[in-house]
Amino acid sequence: MKIIFFLSVLFLSTAGTATLRERHIQFDLILNKEQIELGKRYFSDKSKDSISIDAIRFYISDLELFLDEKPVYSLDKKHHLIDLEYPESLQLDCSNLPIKSYNKIKFNLGIDSTTNVSGAMGGDLDPSNGMYWAWQSGYINFKLEGISPSCPARHNRFAFHLGGYQNPFYNMQKVELLLTETKTDLPKINLDLDDFFNQINLKENHQIMSPSKQAVEITALLANAFYIQI
Amino acid sequence: MAFSRDSFVLDYPEYFPEPEYDFSKNKLSKEKVELGRALFYDPILSKDKSISCSSCHSPYNAFAHTDHDLSHGINDEIGTRNAPALFNLAWQKSFNWDGAVNHLDMQALAPITDKREMNEDLKNVISKLQDSKIYPELFYDAFKDSLITGEHILKALAQFQLTLVSAHSKYDQVKKGKLEFSEQEQKGYKLFQKNCSSCHSEPLFSNYKFANNGLPIDTTLNDFGKGMISKQRTDSMVFKIPTLRNLSYTYPYMHDGRFRKLNQVLKHYSEGISKSKNKSSNLKSNIELSSNEKVDLIAFLLTLNDKEFVFDPKHQYPREVLLSK
Repeated sequence: MKIIFFLSVLFLSTAGTATLRERHIQFDLILNKEQIELGKRYFSDKSKDSISIDAIRFYISDLELFLDEKPVYSLDKKHHLIDLEYPESLQLDCSNLPIKSYNKIKFNLGIDSTTNVSGAMGGDLDPSNGMYWAWQSGYINFKLEGISPSCPARHNRFAFHLGGYQNPFYNMQKVELLLTETKTDLPKINLDLDDFFNQINLKENHQIMSPSKQAVEITALLANAFYIQI
Repeated sequence: MAFSRDSFVLDYPEYFPEPEYDFSKNKLSKEKVELGRALFYDPILSKDKSISCSSCHSPYNAFAHTDHDLSHGINDEIGTRNAPALFNLAWQKSFNWDGAVNHLDMQALAPITDKREMNEDLKNVISKLQDSKIYPELFYDAFKDSLITGEHILKALAQFQLTLVSAHSKYDQVKKGKLEFSEQEQKGYKLFQKNCSSCHSEPLFSNYKFANNGLPIDTTLNDFGKGMISKQRTDSMVFKIPTLRNLSYTYPYMHDGRFRKLNQVLKHYSEGISKSKNKSSNLKSNIELSSNEKVDLIAFLLTLNDKEFVFDPKHQYPREVLLSK
């Protein structure tokens, strides 16, 4: 890992003034101020409770960078499946993008309705990724599964499978992140689940498996938990 | 069907409407259709390799499941609905009795993963196919890629099902000017046009919309159809309007197979319409039919049977592929 890091620094420094670089946007998933490791127990002093995460997967779509409301660039790939089990999926490839200044990021959390009704697709959208419902059509926008002693379900397991492409339970959420200053370095985007778990009560809300009003509300909480790390 | 080297053009009568299926995203080819046909008949799709699509969608029953009111799957588990007939699927926008599936490509996921049908996971299907003797080559022939994906499995299955076009019934021959209805069939046709055609519209014999047709709820199942998916009261007891083509092959009738005979179906529409609030506006009251009229109507409905389709070897078990395994 160290060697790879060293090489990439070397590459960047020799690239000099070139405008095309091997670059990416990094997503970091945070719980208890730490980067989440699957299966690890995180203790919260505040709630005297613990949480461990077994699966966290979600779709990021149509990511665009803006400078003063003007689009600077958008990623070639429309939909990205981010899955903590595959750390490389947390890095969105931007190697073909020129370096430009930006001060705002926009993306969608989830999959739009047109894509949802367009039949079988491959890659990140392949239904074998476990992010597509079978008994009812539609992508699962966000899958979050884990264990917490405060969760009254069997084996204290919670499972949120959040999705829905039709009104009134249209689930995709828009996310806009404003920077305090203009930047050219690509952003690190954090998803902080501390906020999320502080806002939901696992005693009452621990299982969602289909499109519903509650699913929309919970996805909106997750959409609000993204921020830019400066 | 017209074949060229790689492409495959769906053949259907000119009085059929434009298909709903977007063929530009899944261009038909002989190899893909044949791969889909092998997958359709292969029990490898189910957990214990005991159930194939054709277990509940038999070619000799116009790809429906007869003799059982509710269809049964893996380990003799019994489902909650009667498996619908599969043909003229290119003209349909949504699938399953409740319309929960929005695209033909995605339909196969429901039976593959249902615990009472095939109880399997798409990922396992991929690894079983990848390990098989025949499939990597068949996928290569079809998609120029021997690495099997969920997308390619679903697209191949859709292609085979799209070729199931039923358009060779006596009704079709009359429409094409090759045959004429008997006097009784002609009387029945008039009765059909007056009483049935707003929902079971020609030439597909369904408008493929959804309706509450006034069936009383079966309290052993409490199946509220589309209402259970949309969670809207107005969709309670709303089910997909099935086609009337191939009725003789596809009994029993209704989503739960409650009627074994066409007579029972006509009795429902002439005497048994319930008073549910969201009932189809075309069924405000019972349809008045004398017993002679019922006989005439059934004579017409029987002209919708398509024997040529049901016994077409192109759609049957692909021996040369599956028996070579």
